[in-house]
Amino acid sequence: MNRKVLGFGVALVVPLLAILVVNLGRDPQRIDSPLIGRPAPPFSLAPVGGGEPLTLDKLRGRPAVLNFWATWCAPCYEEHPVLQASARTLGPDVQFVGIVYEDQEENVRSYLRSQGSAYPNFMDAGGRAAIAYGVSGVPETYFISPDGAIVDKFSGPLDARSLADRVARTRAARSASR
Amino acid sequence: MTPVLGRTLILLSLLAATAGATVSFAAARGRGQAAWDWSRRFAYAYAGLIVAANLLMVYALLARDFSVSYVAHVGSRSVPTWVAIVSLWSSLEGSILFWGFVLGVYVALAAWTNRARHLEYMPYAAGVWLSCAAFFSFLLAGPAQPFLTIASPADDGPGPNALLQNHVLMAVHPPFLYGGYVGFTIPFGLASAALLAGRLGQDFLRPLRTWLLVPWIFQTIAIVLGGWWAYEVLGWGGYWAWDPVENASLLPWLTATAALHSALLTERKGVLKGWTVTLVQASFLLTILGTFMTRSGVFNSVHSFTQSAIGPTILVFLAAATVFCVALLAARIDRLEAERALSPGASRDTMFLVNNLLFVLFTFTVLVGTVFPLVVEALRDKQMSVGRPYFDRMAVPIGVALLFLMGVGPALPWGRATAAQVRSALLPPAANGVLLALVGLAAGARNPWTLLTFFFGGYAAHVTLRELWLPVARRVRERGEGLARAVGEVQRQGRRRVAAYVVHAGAVVMMIAIAVSSTMGASREVQLARGESFELGHYTLRFLGAEVVREPHREATVARIEVSRAGRVLEIMEPAMNQYGNQREPIGTPAVRSAALEDLYLSVMNVDAEAQALGLHALVNPLVGWIWAAMFVMAAGSVFALVPVRRRPAEGAAAAEAVPAGAAASGS
Repeated sequence: MNRKVLGFGVALVVPLLAILVVNLGRDPQRIDSPLIGRPAPPFSLAPVGGGEPLTLDKLRGRPAVLNFWATWCAPCYEEHPVLQASARTLGPDVQFVGIVYEDQEENVRSYLRSQGSAYPNFMDAGGRAAIAYGVSGVPETYFISPDGAIVDKFSGPLDARSLADRVARTRAARSASR
Repeated sequence: MTPVLGRTLILLSLLAATAGATVSFAAARGRGQAAWDWSRRFAYAYAGLIVAANLLMVYALLARDFSVSYVAHVGSRSVPTWVAIVSLWSSLEGSILFWGFVLGVYVALAAWTNRARHLEYMPYAAGVWLSCAAFFSFLLAGPAQPFLTIASPADDGPGPNALLQNHVLMAVHPPFLYGGYVGFTIPFGLASAALLAGRLGQDFLRPLRTWLLVPWIFQTIAIVLGGWWAYEVLGWGGYWAWDPVENASLLPWLTATAALHSALLTERKGVLKGWTVTLVQASFLLTILGTFMTRSGVFNSVHSFTQSAIGPTILVFLAAATVFCVALLAARIDRLEAERALSPGASRDTMFLVNNLLFVLFTFTVLVGTVFPLVVEALRDKQMSVGRPYFDRMAVPIGVALLFLMGVGPALPWGRATAAQVRSALLPPAANGVLLALVGLAAGARNPWTLLTFFFGGYAAHVTLRELWLPVARRVRERGEGLARAVGEVQRQGRRRVAAYVVHAGAVVMMIAIAVSSTMGASREVQLARGESFELGHYTLRFLGAEVVREPHREATVARIEVSRAGRVLEIMEPAMNQYGNQREPIGTPAVRSAALEDLYLSVMNVDAEAQALGLHALVNPLVGWIWAAMFVMAAGSVFALVPVRRRPAEGAAAAEAVPAGAAASGS
């Protein structure tokens, strides 16, 4: 038995295997946003169909769900009914906001006509809001506390469960901040 | 019917592998020819069964038999035949099945070529091979079943991942990679057999080197093809990104390259036996680590298969294999005694040692950079990534040092040399190094590492060509042979040596091309309206317009760019942006114009067909084509090393001379 080889082998291999075991089951697609816990970046967005622009200040006092989406994105189509249903049940307690990323207003209007919408949608001209929030692709959803801080972010299509969990946490952030 | 037959074949292959492994280890203790015959029969049976299971799956994919779960998962009526066949390895279960196919072929070939040789080792080796085979058949029988029955099959399926359908290289890169990855099982078995038998004789080094070289060739080609694919398809303008899975394919290649060199020293001098065996074991373990990386969901990469439950199973296998290797090495390495001591000082022997240390250092550098983000996240719950700067800063000096050794090593004589010998061997090639560095300087190279690469590259090229030419010149001068005959005789008598220098020549070209392409290119990102143009290098590029092309599986927005040089129009290039139905983000298709000295590479950043606006990333990439060409030289050289030398009895004296060299080459 060569103890040097054994000791060296064990010293090399055990930490490597340990680190792989610890990391099993992690989601490599997840990217933490540096904005979580920070004040949400301000924006000014033109509503689809015209009207007063929306600014971040107008959302204060209620938890908000900002959903970045586009008509050309298939997963957005998938999550659309989930968001609508949730917006209808939560009603005025939670403000849902759709922000349209890289799209034509005409396409958005016909999309909303055929799919329906329970909350207002806004055009992100030049993708300025998307850049400020660090959107890496659509759909992507940000959860904003009543005092205007980003509580959480979700990349990809939301399912009912993930949405409900995050909305609950965003509402809890309200009681904590009071 | 097909799913049941498939499951039966897989269960039988599991049975054959398990029984075969048991019989082989039992046979190894008895060391009888009859016992070895039996373990070989099990190896053939395993190979036959798993190959049959693969053929059955290909049949099901071609017949669009959606009652087979894997076909329901990746098959589609709308894809062409070649995509249907390629689907075999496009998703998780199929890729494991294909692993079995490659392993089956390897095990059968390795058992057959050694059917009447190396009786004291072979049953051990077969036992190790079939143990690995049993594990992969177990995966197919349990956590990754491809042949589940779908009770009420659909009429059509979704087809494989869109990225895999968009370039023919995708059909070629995976089989080569499997030829490498899976193939390292064979030298692993042979090295384990040497440890289990407690000796590594000269005769057994031959199969070890041969079966190390075969997967090494596949791996070399696969790594470069992967880079080539990334370059032609992904559109960011480069070919290597230090992505975790690229690293995973590089790691075993590095240790295997080190092992090929140390095996040469073992063969010539009878030293470094334990070290060579350790490198072979490490190469195998790194392939399993790479397999874990692609299939566990722990690492993010273009290569990642969807999250699956087989990650933990592969990790258990990796842990078991690692424990086996460490325990075996610790228990037996002292029995593989060196036959004599290494000669100290400036000699080729010493350069081999330095070469090995550099390759191992390289391996550790890449391994640490790949795993480090996991360590940080586990300990501090903070995400981080290790990017290009780390890898480039570490890899460039090591690469340049290896290039230096490629020149200095072969220039030095074997064993002890006098100071005068060393001087006369080392000085003349420096002239050629200086010459090439001056050429680089004239071509505009200013990066010190690039200039150093030119210098060492010129040096190594001189030494390599001298080593190829000198024996030929000697025959012409001393025996008055014609040039063709002299070349023929030299390559017949020292085929492995000639082949090795051809591989070195390819490697020198590749390293220069990598240095030049990564430091001497030019690039611009511009926003253009229709009709606008801009200059890049000596090209003028004009945006002619963009149009939307609708295809069944995607919608492509194609930008038309007129490329001209000194007022003369060279070509209309058409980079595009594609939106696939099932993808979140659009995928670009770059356009590449390749010439002898440089590529013009155009990639769309954003394009609007309605507004006729284009954001374009344009690059001039010098010498990229030379990387692909150098790969063919390296591959051709190493395949040449495997071609057995045939005796020509009619030639009398010459044939008699060729026998010893021929015997050495045929086994290698």
